[in-house]
Amino acid sequence: MNSNTQDKVMACVDQSHFSEHVADYAAWAARRLAAPLEFLHVIDHHPEIGSGEDHSGAIGVDAQEKLLSRLSSEDERRTKAAREQGRIFLNRLRERAIAAGGHSVDVRQRHGELAETLAEQESDVCMIILGRRGEAAAHDQRDSGRDIGRNVERVVRALHKPILTVTADFREPQRVMIAFDGGIVTRRGVEMVAASPLFRGLPVHLLMSGKESREAGKQLEWATTTLTTAGFAAAAALIPGDAESVIAKTVHQQSIDLLIMGAYSHSPLRSLLFGSKTTDLLRSASIPTLLLR
Amino acid sequence: MKSLHQDWLANVRNDLLAGLVVALALIPEAIAFSIIAGVDPRVGLYASFCIATVMAFAGGRPGMISAATGAMALLMVTLVKDYGLQYLLAATILTGVLQIVAGWLRLGTLMRFVSRSVITGFVNALAILIFMAQMPELIGASWVVYAMVAAGLAIIYLFPYLSKAVPSPLVAIVVLTALALGMGLDIRTVGDMGDLPDSLPIFLLPEVPLNFETLRIIFPVSATLAVVGLLESMMTASIVDELTDSSSDKNRECVGQGVANISCGFLGGMAGCAMIGQSVINVKSGGRGRLSTLAAGIFLLLMVVFAGDWVARIPMAALVAVMIMVSIGTFNWASVRDLRQHPKSSSVVMLATVIVVVATHDLAKGVLVGVLLSGFFFAHKVGQILHIGSMSEDEGRVRTYKVTGQVFFASAERFVNAFDFREVIEKVRIDVSRAHFWDITAISALDKVVVKFRREATEVEVIGLNEASSTMVDRFAVHDKPDAVEQLMGH
Repeated sequence: MNSNTQDKVMACVDQSHFSEHVADYAAWAARRLAAPLEFLHVIDHHPEIGSGEDHSGAIGVDAQEKLLSRLSSEDERRTKAAREQGRIFLNRLRERAIAAGGHSVDVRQRHGELAETLAEQESDVCMIILGRRGEAAAHDQRDSGRDIGRNVERVVRALHKPILTVTADFREPQRVMIAFDGGIVTRRGVEMVAASPLFRGLPVHLLMSGKESREAGKQLEWATTTLTTAGFAAAAALIPGDAESVIAKTVHQQSIDLLIMGAYSHSPLRSLLFGSKTTDLLRSASIPTLLLR
Repeated sequence: MKSLHQDWLANVRNDLLAGLVVALALIPEAIAFSIIAGVDPRVGLYASFCIATVMAFAGGRPGMISAATGAMALLMVTLVKDYGLQYLLAATILTGVLQIVAGWLRLGTLMRFVSRSVITGFVNALAILIFMAQMPELIGASWVVYAMVAAGLAIIYLFPYLSKAVPSPLVAIVVLTALALGMGLDIRTVGDMGDLPDSLPIFLLPEVPLNFETLRIIFPVSATLAVVGLLESMMTASIVDELTDSSSDKNRECVGQGVANISCGFLGGMAGCAMIGQSVINVKSGGRGRLSTLAAGIFLLLMVVFAGDWVARIPMAALVAVMIMVSIGTFNWASVRDLRQHPKSSSVVMLATVIVVVATHDLAKGVLVGVLLSGFFFAHKVGQILHIGSMSEDEGRVRTYKVTGQVFFASAERFVNAFDFREVIEKVRIDVSRAHFWDITAISALDKVVVKFRREATEVEVIGLNEASSTMVDRFAVHDKPDAVEQLMGH
């Protein structure tokens, strides 16, 4: 890694109109962080999905070679189309981001699977912007909700950098809320917010759900002090109730337009069996959410 | 999470259909391979069910088909003939244990010593063996059998032009069975070959005495089975990798094969491994995930148990036709065309592998010969990379030999012969700083040269031996950084 170059903001896009929101938020983040911006489009071959029209089960002379050449020419054709389309639309997004004030905007296309590709790329990235809806959801309105949960969870779990997930049209964030639980992840999140230029000048709400206790009060006080010392206008609230509904209510009441929270601290197995709070929250919240790992 | 979903549920419809196609082709193969091994068709069918099912979960290569195979069946013949089925089951379990050990020891990485030519030879030999195994059904048979085999092959290869929705081997089997029953032909059927499964497999311990004598009997067979099984599985895995442009976990595959064989032995099945032909059929039919392998195993068992009466009436000629198709599809025909174009050494390696396998019916021996031969040829080639030039200096008093290239066991003699010991000269300088001394043979060759010159009263000075012999160290761990390699090879 070249230590001279600054870590970049990476925006993951696919060929759906949701990508425009991603581009706008990415441009906003890059501008505030004064970081270079890169658009990443992942072309997935889906090697796990077969093209099965031949069920004859007969193998003749050079069966293997013929099959290999058939499969590879199919892949080649698909990739060529995807590459050209992707290039054109990536450049459109690039123009859009530059118009929105991004200063160094680059584009990149990679082969592979989204989560794996991001995990490979994340070393010189400071923040990842991701659409919670994508091509799949645009094509298929019915199960978009479930699809979001699965894809986003997979990507988020594979990464170790903050991930801003966005859904709707860009609205410049004015009021930010941290869903604070006193755990190590959100404590680090508070420190990060305090140190980063991303939210400088914006009022920050600290929200803790659950029972009133000395410990919780102390934690919350620590967080408020940390933010105030860094020059933020911080307001803290401890509201009893379960996290999901408390957060949803406060977001609405305070007209919060960006939520910061820890994500997927439990094992994949547990979230498979009992569902995941993070996924539920992502599904119900319609505002951009910055996930901390 | 990711792989769990991708491996199982990303391709459900295609996987199920491909699994069905594979199961239909597995039935004749399992029966045929049981007959090769000399056991009831039941044994092979249980094995194919069990191995396919276990490998769906334990394997390292989703979409690959493992079951009872010809390569393995051929190795069991003598054991079954001399000691019977129970010893085969015990040997199957031991094979599994050995394969798990191989997986833990990460022996899958040894596959890199098996060259392309050896793999081609292996595949071709396998195809030839599968074809030859059909001979007992063909030699001395009536013209009716030949006509049926020909008709079967015609249906298999021509029916896909009509429809690719139905497996043509199944069509061939159905048509030929109907024909044989309808015309009341008196030809051999599957039912004549032994018992078919009449129930689901049950857990049972092989009835063999647990003593050293048993181990002495089964160990050599198990060891060979383990090697051949892993070889074919690794090869098939890399073929599927290539076809689907994805990667597999080779060591998990080794352990998986072992687990499958152990379970198989306890369920009354014979040892098996991955199948090249079936895996190609699976991928061709759109199978990619683990579900395809599981479906193949389950469908196979269901069909055999619930349609056993019908399976028993299939004429052997129909199975022979299917097996000839498998052997044609497995054989690497391009390798025959390439024989002339490819370097002679690699053609020799390929042919030697084929010949040894066909002669011994043991794929392990063939691969061993192939690997050894490729080693010889490689050593010979690299041994050619050696040049020794000389120049006299100091008005004919000194001669400097400059050695460039590789000195090791294969080139040591050439190295010694390049010096002129009869030259009357005061001093000889041997500059080896641009040579590599790879082994003890090289060093002793240099010693020999020095001694010979001394005998002629010639003083010898060797320059750069330290650099030259740094290649002799057995552990290259320190040299695997780019600049270290550069230093090693470029001095």
